Amino acid sequence: MSDIDIKRISYLAKLKLPPEKEEFYSNSLKDIIKWVDNLKKVDTSKTEPLHNVTEKTVSIRNDEVSKSNSVDDILRNAPERAQNFFKVPKVVE
Amino acid sequence: MKNSISQIKKALIEKKISVGELYDEYLAKAKSGNSNSFNLVIDRENNISSINDSQNRYDNGNPLPLDGIPLGIKDLFCTKGIRTTASSKILSNFIPNYESFVTQQLLNDGSIFIGKNNCDEFAMGSSNETSYFGPVINPWKNKNTQKDNLVPGGSSGGSAAAVAEGSCVASMGTDTGGSIRQPASLCGIVGLKPTFGSCSRWGIVAFASSLDQAGPLTNCVEDAAYVLNSINKHDFNDSTSSNHQREDYLIDINNSFEKKIKIGIPSDYLEDVSDDISNQIDNTKKALSKHGIEFVDVKFKTTEYALSTYYILAPAEASSNLARYDGIRYGFREDGESLDDIYLNSRTKGFGDEVTRRILIGTYVLSAGYYDAYYRQAQKVRRLIKNDFQRILNKVDFILTPTTPNEAFKIGDKLDPISMYKNDIYTVPTSLAGLPGISIPSGLSKNGLPLGVQFIGNYFEEKSLLQLAALAEKELSFNE
Repeated sequence: MSDIDIKRISYLAKLKLPPEKEEFYSNSLKDIIKWVDNLKKVDTSKTEPLHNVTEKTVSIRNDEVSKSNSVDDILRNAPERAQNFFKVPKVVE
Repeated sequence: MKNSISQIKKALIEKKISVGELYDEYLAKAKSGNSNSFNLVIDRENNISSINDSQNRYDNGNPLPLDGIPLGIKDLFCTKGIRTTASSKILSNFIPNYESFVTQQLLNDGSIFIGKNNCDEFAMGSSNETSYFGPVINPWKNKNTQKDNLVPGGSSGGSAAAVAEGSCVASMGTDTGGSIRQPASLCGIVGLKPTFGSCSRWGIVAFASSLDQAGPLTNCVEDAAYVLNSINKHDFNDSTSSNHQREDYLIDINNSFEKKIKIGIPSDYLEDVSDDISNQIDNTKKALSKHGIEFVDVKFKTTEYALSTYYILAPAEASSNLARYDGIRYGFREDGESLDDIYLNSRTKGFGDEVTRRILIGTYVLSAGYYDAYYRQAQKVRRLIKNDFQRILNKVDFILTPTTPNEAFKIGDKLDPISMYKNDIYTVPTSLAGLPGISIPSGLSKNGLPLGVQFIGNYFEEKSLLQLAALAEKELSFNE
């Protein structure tokens, strides 16, 4: 197992770990990854990955228009809104 | 003994109690309890039209299957107009504008929601200690250490504690790796995880979508059948919802089996277990042998890989599912100067330690260079685990295991995540295979705490699984 770059992983997960907690998470992650490492010894050369246990086909429904989720309903939960939009800080200069 | 759904319905039909009085009785318990099993309780005024409608149906002689029954709902199900938090800070102000499929079925059948049950944050935990709203306290006490507060198990810990303390008749939970069965066992009640694909996931806050499944926590097996009859339906809004024909789970539940039944006991599950745990299996075996049920020894080849597989797949799916919490569209926002700062600040401040840990694990096993070694390998091993179960279920009708490796432990006792994860050793393999499992109370430990056994059945065979559980329950039932 290679070293875990906790800064990179947290960046990918869009988390900003406080510096005093980096070691805590880094050690915890190392322990868990070491613990799950036993899977590497299983021979799966002839095994296909399993995505959906029941492996049934998706059922098809009729394409009928229905009314749900009005703009006002959705925006009621928004931390900040402006007219019919979610409001965020300026993204383009 | 607590009243079952059929006993309560009988009392309502015979007018020994009104729907309103029934509601008040449970509401008073929910409000006065100190187990912290509810994140939110719903006052009578806010349910008054449901209560009146239900009473009218009783008065007119045509009550619905769950009419007037006060239910708890794990705070992971979206409930229209009622705050739904997943016990997380990041959803602490979220009010859904729609009803989950499962809770809608329960409402359609006349039940009344008494409140939202506390749970582990985003259902990630086995002790209900990761909740943003604080831990839930198990109503049971260790007779040798009466003062200690014990965990109810998790993640549906609030649901289990609420049913055990009698502040709701039954509660809806969810199970990803044992989150219905393990707390049911530690609180001395019944917990059913149906086959993956039975009950729609639509409107349930997602944790690990290939594993999450809704199911009831109840006082008795018959109550579980009542709830399952309501919630087990095909739903177009969940692409993994199965469209097979459902049965009536109540009819014949108390009948004896027509054919000879064979149950497998995996000897590899019972290596190194305490006397308390092995006694549960011995007692169950003895009780059911009287009914002509045969027990055989079976041996799995994949047990040692189940937890590793689960702790790769579940965090991987969680890290992807929880990417939606960004502080922009709903939920908690922590301000920042840029858009990116809002994402980072909201997520960092909004998620607790265990959720953060699992997002990090998931992100790591999905990241470039590690995907094949961890995630893809775990998906392949998952197939081997499923095949292993199918091999065993070709030889036997059911599998009997302990539900948990230990009784309820003290709040704050297990700080190391791996020892916490090992709580689910008997429930995780079933979840990975997608099979149905039910935990029923089987006896008390030396410390006077409840323990349970788990019966595992074949895909979509909940009917015979409930029939077996009802038979075992009659033999094993114990009073508080």
